[in-house]
Amino acid sequence: MLCTWRGEVPASLLLTSSRTLSTLHFPAAAETAAEMSVWNYVVTAHKPTSVTHSCVGNFTGPNQLNLIVAKCTRIEIHLLTPQGLQPMIDVPIYGRIATLELFRPHNETQDFLFIATERYKFCVLQWDAEKSELLTRAMGDVSDRIGRPTDNGQIGIIDPDCRLIGLHLYDGLFKVIPFDIKGQLKEAFNIRLEELQVLDIKFLYGCVKPTIVVLYQDNKDARHVKTYEVALKDKDFVEGPWSQNNLDNGAGLLIPVPAPLGGVIIIGEETIVYCNANATFRAIPIKQSIIRAYGRVDPDGSRYLLGDNTGILHLLVLTHERERVTGLKIEYLGETSIASSISYLDNGVVYVGSRFGDSQLVKLNLQADTSGSYVEVLERYVNLGPIVDFCVVDLDRQGQGQVVTCSGAFKDGSLRVVRNGIGINEQASVELQGIKGLWSLKSSFNDPYDMYLVVSFISETRFLAMNMEDELEETEIEGFDAQTQTLFCQNAISDLLVQVTANSVRLVSCTSRELVDQWNAPEGYSVNVASANASQVLLATGGGHLVYLEIRDSKLVEVKHIQLEHEISCVDLNPIGENPQYSSLAAVGMWTDISVRILSLPDLELKRKETLGGEIVPRSVLLCTLEGISYLLCALGDGHLFSFLLNASSGDLSDRKKVSLGTQPISLRTFSSKGTTHVFASSDRPTVIYSSNKKLLYSNVNLKEVNHMCPFNTAAIPDSLAIAKEGELSIGTIDDIQKLHIRTIPLNEQARRICHQEQSRTLAFCSFKHNQTSIEESETHFVRLLDHQTFEFLSIYQLDPYEHGCSIISCSFSDDNNVYYCVGTAYVLPEENEPTKGRILVFAVEDGRLQLIVEKETKGAVYSLNAFNGKLLAAINQKIQLYKWMLREDGSHELQSECGHHGHILALYTQTRGDFIVVGDLMKSISLLVYKHEESAIEELARDYNANWMSAVEMLDDEIYIGAENNYNIFTVRKNSDAATDEERGRLEVVGEYHLGEFVNRLRHGSLVMRLPDSEMGQIPTVIFGTINGVIGIIASLPHDQYVFLEKLQSTLVKFIKGVGNLSHEQWRSFHNDKKTSEARNFLDGDLIESFLDLSRSKMEEVSKGMGVPVEELSKRVEELTRLH
Amino acid sequence: MGSSLGGWPSYNPQNFSQVVPADPSAQPLNVIPATYIATHRTDPPPGQVITTDPKNILLRHFYQKSEEKLRPKRAAPDNLTPQNNGKQPRGPVADGGGQASGRS
Repeated sequence: MLCTWRGEVPASLLLTSSRTLSTLHFPAAAETAAEMSVWNYVVTAHKPTSVTHSCVGNFTGPNQLNLIVAKCTRIEIHLLTPQGLQPMIDVPIYGRIATLELFRPHNETQDFLFIATERYKFCVLQWDAEKSELLTRAMGDVSDRIGRPTDNGQIGIIDPDCRLIGLHLYDGLFKVIPFDIKGQLKEAFNIRLEELQVLDIKFLYGCVKPTIVVLYQDNKDARHVKTYEVALKDKDFVEGPWSQNNLDNGAGLLIPVPAPLGGVIIIGEETIVYCNANATFRAIPIKQSIIRAYGRVDPDGSRYLLGDNTGILHLLVLTHERERVTGLKIEYLGETSIASSISYLDNGVVYVGSRFGDSQLVKLNLQADTSGSYVEVLERYVNLGPIVDFCVVDLDRQGQGQVVTCSGAFKDGSLRVVRNGIGINEQASVELQGIKGLWSLKSSFNDPYDMYLVVSFISETRFLAMNMEDELEETEIEGFDAQTQTLFCQNAISDLLVQVTANSVRLVSCTSRELVDQWNAPEGYSVNVASANASQVLLATGGGHLVYLEIRDSKLVEVKHIQLEHEISCVDLNPIGENPQYSSLAAVGMWTDISVRILSLPDLELKRKETLGGEIVPRSVLLCTLEGISYLLCALGDGHLFSFLLNASSGDLSDRKKVSLGTQPISLRTFSSKGTTHVFASSDRPTVIYSSNKKLLYSNVNLKEVNHMCPFNTAAIPDSLAIAKEGELSIGTIDDIQKLHIRTIPLNEQARRICHQEQSRTLAFCSFKHNQTSIEESETHFVRLLDHQTFEFLSIYQLDPYEHGCSIISCSFSDDNNVYYCVGTAYVLPEENEPTKGRILVFAVEDGRLQLIVEKETKGAVYSLNAFNGKLLAAINQKIQLYKWMLREDGSHELQSECGHHGHILALYTQTRGDFIVVGDLMKSISLLVYKHEESAIEELARDYNANWMSAVEMLDDEIYIGAENNYNIFTVRKNSDAATDEERGRLEVVGEYHLGEFVNRLRHGSLVMRLPDSEMGQIPTVIFGTINGVIGIIASLPHDQYVFLEKLQSTLVKFIKGVGNLSHEQWRSFHNDKKTSEARNFLDGDLIESFLDLSRSKMEEVSKGMGVPVEELSKRVEELTRLH
Repeated sequence: MGSSLGGWPSYNPQNFSQVVPADPSAQPLNVIPATYIATHRTDPPPGQVITTDPKNILLRHFYQKSEEKLRPKRAAPDNLTPQNNGKQPRGPVADGGGQASGRS
């Protein structure tokens, strides 16, 4: 797009393609946080997306069919509709869901939901459609004091005749929760189960007595099935009607078949078998695969969908005659994401839930497509899980980090670029100083697209127009006054244009562009502020004069004139009622008494006056309707924004809230994206205000400072925005309006480690591809290089056979100005328990290619690498090893071992800060090492003596280190450097503990949001974490006083916000592993705290009373926290 | 093939009738439904906080054996378990009924 300026300004709109980039640095965090990293706030930025369970039934109403999806710690309830899946609610569960089952108790018209958690709590939920509430029908604790938790996961099943719930939680025990005849649950009891290695248990259909079928492995590793009847009265098993020995060695899944066929299907890796009580035995061979997900298609059980580990969807057909199974048939349907759950929905549409890739809604077609697939993907649902690694980069150089994750597994692997806030994708820009206002105009009232851009300066106004070539060029609108600053512009009815200046209001014909009518400001007065819509103009002059004009028959008619007691600072009459061309309300902001007033139109009578308090003048007011709810927004000169619910007929204001968006005056403007109205707040921290689920949300825009914005919806670039920044006018398109923006780069292989290199503008990652031929399986491992902006593949380096990429960093060395990628590897040989050989590969990026510069063999797996004092620190099996970068005589370099430190089980994760090294061990928690330059030695300073199996570590500051471990807990430890004794100094003191409920694979310093150095929130250091379930979260280290305040808020909120199913928040967040359970400390649950904003006004007031802090203040403080992520 | 396909169960023929397949090149959906917040009571009805019979399996067998000798004159000694005080009067009656109907 080009811009030709007629006249003296030789500027042109430039395409902005080349930008420079930088990784994030957090100097502020490092310097100010030393004293405060103990008090941490944990919050989810991206909720879990990995689907673990799904089921279908009539949950929300007898005639409503629902899909219920479990995403580890949350359930989502969807409604089946003609348009597809309609999401209803997302329910946080205080536990990791182990079992999710719908069942229909006797005499009920709706299904109940049974949920059991990994920490042995369960609940039965019922939907109360009248109140839209989840009622707890029963709940309890099913843990046993003694018992060895099952290795193969927990099993929870419900008798198809609703006589009992069966649970297999500990080896050798089967727990029964009986139902009474009224459907009430009774006291649970345990039954001894002789089979110790249980793979699956299911209830059989159509049995007079409740009967289970158990798939188990004996001590010779052979697999069998056996049946038991549950004798409820005797609280014992009775030997069942049949059993079947010597099944497929890979048998792992049982599918019970409904009556009248009955019996069970046993899914193996090479065969599928059907057997039942009448000794019917049918088997078919299958191509070797692991099938872990199934979905029943027909209620009578004649067809099942099976999903295998390569993402192939099969149809298993039971052929039957006269209620007897006569054969099995398996048919290929097509490829989906690798399924973890399959739910047949309705009319041939199936939900495929996945832990390894995006979940999908697919349709089963009668005809194969060109690739031979009967599966058509209707919709894909984003899943970041498992996040195996990620890096934080600042591609736009705006001070805001983006997270690039290694997501997904096997063929569903991908990179995901996750960015907070809304991106403006600049299409064109031009240097232009001193813009004071910006409006777009259409060439006629009914034209769908904008034509002109009106740019106002201090003493002139310029007009740009799209020409036939879709270029922007300067033009004239003859009837407008170009010799003065424009205060407002607007398309009006009867194909007119309105221009308001300090002296006059001008009405100009769209077609002739000539002046049609004019209203002049009275002698001695000039217009200060103005607003207009299609048929009305409201303006204020000095002295508190407010003048209301209407456009009637192409004339400006002064309808009303009043004088207010103070000067007027801003006005608005954006129509929010049914008539889009006429407003019956106006909003006016005032100097002196710092108020905002709602006036009725046309008579300008005061309907409501709201005093804002403080001394900061309102600078912009806006009436708007978002998601059908009317609001009054009022922005102050200091970056604060008030929002009120507005009753469009009475003008009443309620639900007053205050948020801090920036520090400079804000100007508010509505714009439209994909047919939905949003609000743009221009300021030093531009923000989009939008409504989601009827709640106002604030999302950052990835621009530094915006002075003015107007929508500029042109045919060439629909839905674009014109943006005036300091010294620049630009045109850009806007991302989808949502808080997190996720871009997927499919890899078709699994990425494991990733790292960014600013200097070469690349990302490099280690990945592997699973190759399966008919004879054997193998993996090929790579190091790949990508352009960090286009994500184009630049270069690839294939590792040796059996060699895995384990770590990757970008670093430079002492006395060498080059920047390198260092990759640590391991030779994973099938016959070895632990790798005994690996390599460190040093690559340079030359002309977009990976050039291997140096390789160094190691005596084990290089689990972690760090740039350290101009050297390279590697964690190799049990050892921490430091390498020097040495120049050889021939000018080449080599890595030379300098010193090391033994004494770890496996040193998996290392982080460094100055001379300090923190090591996360496989089993031995966190230890702190120090490098002594003079002695050229690494020594241990202190360690945490707890036996935590670590999954990630990071140093929050010099003294406080954070770790995540494999029981889904996170904890902080403190260096006791001031302790009196050596013994104490040698001990890392545990100072914080918290059950996150998520398996963290990586902790990294960084922020997803723009950090304003002069704001309070900008000073809070944050760490980002990524988990197996696809969660991206933030750990923010708070100042102590803020922590204390929020701790009180959390304990108050617990009284008002109950755990669904009556599960306890305190128990859920308590640190828990097989050795101990202790109350959470020095960590706050940000998800709970931020749900304050979702409370009804009356509940907020109750909380406010409990806290002794006004609602407005509470909302503001919590709203600020939401802007951390 | 084909004979096994089709004839898919239909519970409401309208469901999914207006779905337009998403563009395969489009980014996957990131739908976030409204978060459910329970500000209402979530405690279960009386007697529906379930615990496990604390009796050791072996002891339970002993009791059951001795109990069998005494039946049908007396109700099960389970009634005396302390956790169940609140719902005691109805417990055994319902139990008996449940068993009877289950077995018939």
